[in-house]
Amino acid sequence: MEQKGLDFGEKARVLPGKRRALSVTELTDRLQGVLETEFFDVWVEGEISNLNQASSGHWYFSLKDDRAQIRAVVWKTAARLIKWKPKDGMRVLARGGIKVYAPRGDYQISVEVLEPLGVGSLQQAFEELKEKLAKEGLFDPAKKRPLPMLPRCIGIVTSPTGAVIQDILRVLQRRYANLGVLIYPARVQGPEAAYEIVQGIRALNRFKSVDVLMVARGGGSLEDLWPFNDEMVARALATSRIPTLSAVGHETDFTIADFVADLRAPTPSAGAERVVQAKEDMAARIDALTHRLDAAARIRLQRTRARVDAVRSHRVFEAERGRLRTYAQRVDDLSRRAETGVRRRLEQAGERRRRGTERLEAFRWDRLAAARRERIDGDARRLSEALRGRLRAHRADLARAVGKLESLSPLAVLQRGYALVFDERGTLVQRADQVAAGDVIDVRLHEGALRARVTPPGKADE
Amino acid sequence: MSADETPTFEAALKQLEEIVQRLEKGELPLEESLVLYEQGIKLSRLCHGKLEEAEGRIELLMKDARGDLMTDEAGKPRKTPFGQ
Repeated sequence: MEQKGLDFGEKARVLPGKRRALSVTELTDRLQGVLETEFFDVWVEGEISNLNQASSGHWYFSLKDDRAQIRAVVWKTAARLIKWKPKDGMRVLARGGIKVYAPRGDYQISVEVLEPLGVGSLQQAFEELKEKLAKEGLFDPAKKRPLPMLPRCIGIVTSPTGAVIQDILRVLQRRYANLGVLIYPARVQGPEAAYEIVQGIRALNRFKSVDVLMVARGGGSLEDLWPFNDEMVARALATSRIPTLSAVGHETDFTIADFVADLRAPTPSAGAERVVQAKEDMAARIDALTHRLDAAARIRLQRTRARVDAVRSHRVFEAERGRLRTYAQRVDDLSRRAETGVRRRLEQAGERRRRGTERLEAFRWDRLAAARRERIDGDARRLSEALRGRLRAHRADLARAVGKLESLSPLAVLQRGYALVFDERGTLVQRADQVAAGDVIDVRLHEGALRARVTPPGKADE
Repeated sequence: MSADETPTFEAALKQLEEIVQRLEKGELPLEESLVLYEQGIKLSRLCHGKLEEAEGRIELLMKDARGDLMTDEAGKPRKTPFGQ
C-alpha cells in the first residue's frame, strides 16, 4: 500500500483564521471517503454510450441522460454474470458503487448488476407500487407503532428450513431465552410465497399471546425477494393488529414490506436483535430507576440527619435518633439486597460479554471486529467499574451516616436522670420565663414522658 | 392474562417510576419516604422477576398437505416443538 499523504507537518500552510490548506491528496482522500461511503450501493438509470468491451473482459462505458453523464465500468467477474448483450443507446438500470480514482482525480461507478430497462421491469413495478401505497398513506411515519415494551411471544413468518430461522433463534436463545416463539412456516420465494406470507400474517394475528410479528427472509436477488414486494403482503402487514417487523434480505435490500412494517430491520438476525433489545433496555431502565430510588431515599435520610445535627446541642431528638437509625438500617438492608441484584446483573452482563467474545472469535472476524470488541470490552469494563464505584460510595455514605448518628447519643444524658421539658408547642424549655403558671408542659424522661402543669414559683429551689 | 393482585410488568414499571419521582421531589415525611422506598425496591424486584418469567417455548404451526393449518379436536391450531 502506498503511503497516504497524512503527514503535512512542515508543508502545511496556515491560512488566516487558523485554517490550514489541504494537500491535493488529502482533499482527494476526503472526497473518496465521502463518495465511496455515501454511494457504495446505488441504483442508477441511464443510457449506455461509448461502450468498450475490452479483450481483458472488462467493459467500459458512460451512463448518461440528457443533462449529465458518469463513467462506468463492469469488471470481468461481474460482466460474466450478465446474460444479455448491452449496446450503445440502450436504457439500462445499473447497480453498483462509486469509486474514486485518485491519480486522475475522477470517479466512476463500478457496476455489479446491469439490467435492460423494458416493460415489466421489476424495479419499475416496485417503484409504481411504492408510490401507490405511499399515496394511500401506508408508509406514514405517524402510523408506525412501537414494538411492545416487553415482548412475550414473537410470531415469525418464514421458512422453517434453512439458515435464517436458525440465525434468528440463535439470537433469541442467547439473549432472551424466555421469549415465546411461534413460527408460521411459509415459502418465502416463488409464486406461492406471497399468498403464504399473507396467510401467515393473518394466522398469527389470531393468537392473543403473540405481541410482535416478524416476516423474515435471507438475502437474494430482486426476484427472490419479490414476494415481499407484493401488494397483498403489504396490505396484510398494514392491517396487522400486532406490531410488525420486516427483516428481509441484506442491509442494502429494501422491499415494500420494509416500508409498510412498523419497523424495518436490515437483516433477520438484526430483527431478532431488535426484539431482544427491548428486554435489555427494560433491564437497564429498571436498574436506573432502582439507583435513583436508592439515591432519593439516601438524600432524604441525609436531610433529616442534617436537621438532627443542627439541633444537636438541644439533645432533644433522642426518639428521632432511634428512628433514624432504624431507617438507616432499613435503607442499608434494602440497598444491600438491591446491590445483590445489580451484582448479579453485572455478572450476567459479564457472561453475555464473554459469550459474545467467544462468538466473535469463533467467527474469526478481521481487525474491525477486534477493534469493536475491544471497545465493547472497554465500555463494559468502564460501566461495571462505574456501577461498582457508585455502590461502594453509597455504602460508604451510609456507613458514615450511621457512625455519625452513633456519636450523638443524647440518650446517654437522659439515662443519667436528666429530663427534657417542652412547652405545649413542643419547644424545648430552657429558661423559666418561657412558661407561665398554669401552662401545660411535657417532660420527657429516659423512659416515658410526663404531662404536668406549672404551679406559681415561690418555693423555687434557689 | 390473570387478574390477580400482582401488577403487570407495565403497571409495576409505571408505579416504580411514579415512586421514584415522588421520592426525588423530597417533600414527603421521612416515614412515608421510607415506606415508598420499600415499595419501590419491591417493585424493582418484581420487574426484574417479570423479565425472566414466562416459559419461552419455540413452536411451529403445523400445516396439512393442502397448506392449511392443522387443528386439534378443540379446533385449536396444532403446534409442534421446533428445535434448533
